[in-house]
Amino acid sequence: MLKLWAKWAAPIFVIGLLFYWPMAHVLQHGLTGSWADTLLEPAVLEAIWFTIWQAVLSALLCVAIGLPAAYVLYRRHSKHGRLIRALITVPFALPTIVTAIGFTVFQNNDAAAASGFGALLASPLFWIISAHVFVNFSVVVRTVGATWANLAHDTEEAAQLGGAGRFRIFWSISRPQLNNAIVSSLATVFLYCTASYGLILVLGGGLVNSIETEIAYAANQRLDLQEAGALAIVQTLLSIGAYMISSTGKRSAIGFEVQDSQAKQPKLDRRDWPAVAVASLATLLVLAPLALIVARAFLNNDGQATLDNFADLGGRGARNLLNITIAQAALNTLRNVLVATALATVVGVAVAYLLSRRTRSKSVRLVNTVLNIAFMLPLGVSTIVLGFGYLLTFGAGWFPLRSSWLIVPLIQGLMAIPLVVRIVYPALTSISEELGEQASTDGASPASAFFRIELPLVRESIGAAIGYAAIISIGEFGAASLLAYGSQATLPTVLYQLVSRPGGNNYGMAMAMSAIVIVLTFAVVFVASLPAKHRTAQRQR
Amino acid sequence: MMGGLSACSEAGPKIVTIATHDSFLIPDELINKFHEQTGYSLEGVKVGDAGELTNKLVLTKDAPIADLFFGIDNTFAGVATKNGIVDGELTQIDYADVCFNYDKEWFAANGLMPPSSWQDLTLAAYEGLTVVENPATSSTGLAFMFSTIAKLGEPGWLSWWSAMKSNSIKIVDGWETAYYTEFSGAAGKGDYPIVLSYSSSPADEIGTDGQSRTAALTTNCFRQLEYAGVLKNAANPDGARAFIKFMLSPEFQAALPTSMYVYPVDKSVTLPTNWAKFAKPASTFVDVSELDFDKGRDKWLDQWRKLMSAG
Repeated sequence: MLKLWAKWAAPIFVIGLLFYWPMAHVLQHGLTGSWADTLLEPAVLEAIWFTIWQAVLSALLCVAIGLPAAYVLYRRHSKHGRLIRALITVPFALPTIVTAIGFTVFQNNDAAAASGFGALLASPLFWIISAHVFVNFSVVVRTVGATWANLAHDTEEAAQLGGAGRFRIFWSISRPQLNNAIVSSLATVFLYCTASYGLILVLGGGLVNSIETEIAYAANQRLDLQEAGALAIVQTLLSIGAYMISSTGKRSAIGFEVQDSQAKQPKLDRRDWPAVAVASLATLLVLAPLALIVARAFLNNDGQATLDNFADLGGRGARNLLNITIAQAALNTLRNVLVATALATVVGVAVAYLLSRRTRSKSVRLVNTVLNIAFMLPLGVSTIVLGFGYLLTFGAGWFPLRSSWLIVPLIQGLMAIPLVVRIVYPALTSISEELGEQASTDGASPASAFFRIELPLVRESIGAAIGYAAIISIGEFGAASLLAYGSQATLPTVLYQLVSRPGGNNYGMAMAMSAIVIVLTFAVVFVASLPAKHRTAQRQR
Repeated sequence: MMGGLSACSEAGPKIVTIATHDSFLIPDELINKFHEQTGYSLEGVKVGDAGELTNKLVLTKDAPIADLFFGIDNTFAGVATKNGIVDGELTQIDYADVCFNYDKEWFAANGLMPPSSWQDLTLAAYEGLTVVENPATSSTGLAFMFSTIAKLGEPGWLSWWSAMKSNSIKIVDGWETAYYTEFSGAAGKGDYPIVLSYSSSPADEIGTDGQSRTAALTTNCFRQLEYAGVLKNAANPDGARAFIKFMLSPEFQAALPTSMYVYPVDKSVTLPTNWAKFAKPASTFVDVSELDFDKGRDKWLDQWRKLMSAG
């Protein structure tokens, strides 16, 4: 038992220091004084209500669009299925601030306003919910698709022979089997939409208030730390609830796994046309905004073609708005990604390793369950809440992290730890059963068995985990906006500065940088979607 | 820049860090001049509008992000002093008058009389023509919200804003968006011919004919005073004081109108020639002396946000 605790000491120290300690400060501020009265203020109630209904609506829309797409892309075989499955994940991988900037192009478009849907299109709520669907609908496609692909075809085929139509087959045969996956993906999208900050800030223009924007507003503009704390607690309860529902399904699909079993699926036929139509439309709607940003990046404010927006990236914007150039901000982001990914990978793999050790002791198993939950909890806390906690906790005292550049990568790394555990732990448990015992009977020490045998076998999972940690760090905006000052600005924070101060060439610069990020993301996702043998050919030499 | 290495052998840090609002801009020649005169190198940290600047300095006061600040105005000065972030006194550097501007060409082309004061903006003739800054996120917007409260009283000011909402007023988060993107009389050629800006803004819109394309409504304006100050626990308080002294020098004061469109606090400084014609200070001001900014700000902002929110 003692030996076990010794192994756990380092990960527990990291999560205690970087998560539970600042969260204790948030609780302490949130629960002082008249916190109940604070939460019952009309403005606060309105923000809570908005957060909930927009997240519910966004999640339902994602399911409505995602189900037909999941059917076409995972349950049926089509020529470009693999590529499209990869492409629709691009919005999910993009920094949310880039998505927000992209949607401002639509928002500011006079043609859209004149199209007869003026009132609807003029409403920021419409654009916020559209953007949430845009970002998250691939979550539904992947989660539901992964389950759907593995359902047996027999019953459906029998029903088809009996004359049942596609929709009837879906409703009475497939849907009951997919229920868990659908609920799980609904809850996941709900979770992401309640924690949305940058999108609502940019597209709402400061006039749409969610719990997250209220927390930032209370802290930054009103210095009302008690209200910020109380709201942070509400946000956290909401997220944890959604997280618990989302993980009730078996294994939710994490990672850009592209499954080859798709080849065995029946081909699409004419009777699938409604699903194909919805799926194609959805794919188009996902790709169009991205294409539009890239196109806008080559126009100046008067609509003429130019490369100036890209040339301006070496500068600091109109009237020297930025403290550093975009290139310097990109370097900061790169540095943060390296630190955050290293932290998340080392701690996450260590935790996954410790959790995956088999034991006959009941008390050790109980401890493992508790620790598993303890390391998953950061998934249920938004970056704004955590950033606020850091602001309260690390200002001065024995650990004055706030004045160090490390604060941003550490918070980003911390947030990625649970994802690394979630990806690596199942991989480790599935191989450790036979292998571990075999190695120990061969006389290898557990540590050397892990490094020599297990680690190489879960290489792919660790690669996926590193990819996820990097995506989180690259796109993270909420915490960085609270904590990265001056020369420490990151790519998302300078993009936000440019788009919120759009005078002169600033808007064009934001477009140009967003276009670069989009093209890079496409490239990475495309490479990741290539069949594994293409990617590993060189390694096998 | 690397030449500064030799100077480092002297005692004390050689970099002075200044926290400012986003509109802060001074010419490089002045920064170099400051370096020549004092040996200090200036580094800037921009942190949003005046309100966000003040609050972030309060939130980080244990380990300040800069040695001094510039740009806390009279609407937020109370927050700064109450929270003890200033080492010594606040020093006024400049002032600016918050007034509405209108696009003269637009009004001529549409055969409409421009408004005579901001109270007129609720008239049906001006429906959908006005863009203002959100007082919750912009100090310009906040100054104007205070003006409406002082001029119209409670709860009359809320009725005025409600009428403006019915008159399709456009609200954006900051001055740059309002002026450069939404206003039809500035570079962005936006859709709104009336914008909440400053009495000095028309001096930046002079056409080839030597006339300004825009004009300011110079009655019932709000005078914003901008301050600098040394931050408590600053790493380089001596450098901070040196820069405040430099900001009061005739040379720096003379650069204020062209670089930041504000009036120098030093009255002996001559203004640029076209300022006499196109950037006259406001003629009348709303009397805000009875308003307690610090006591009322949160309550009024809550009322305003509830009334104007997009939900």
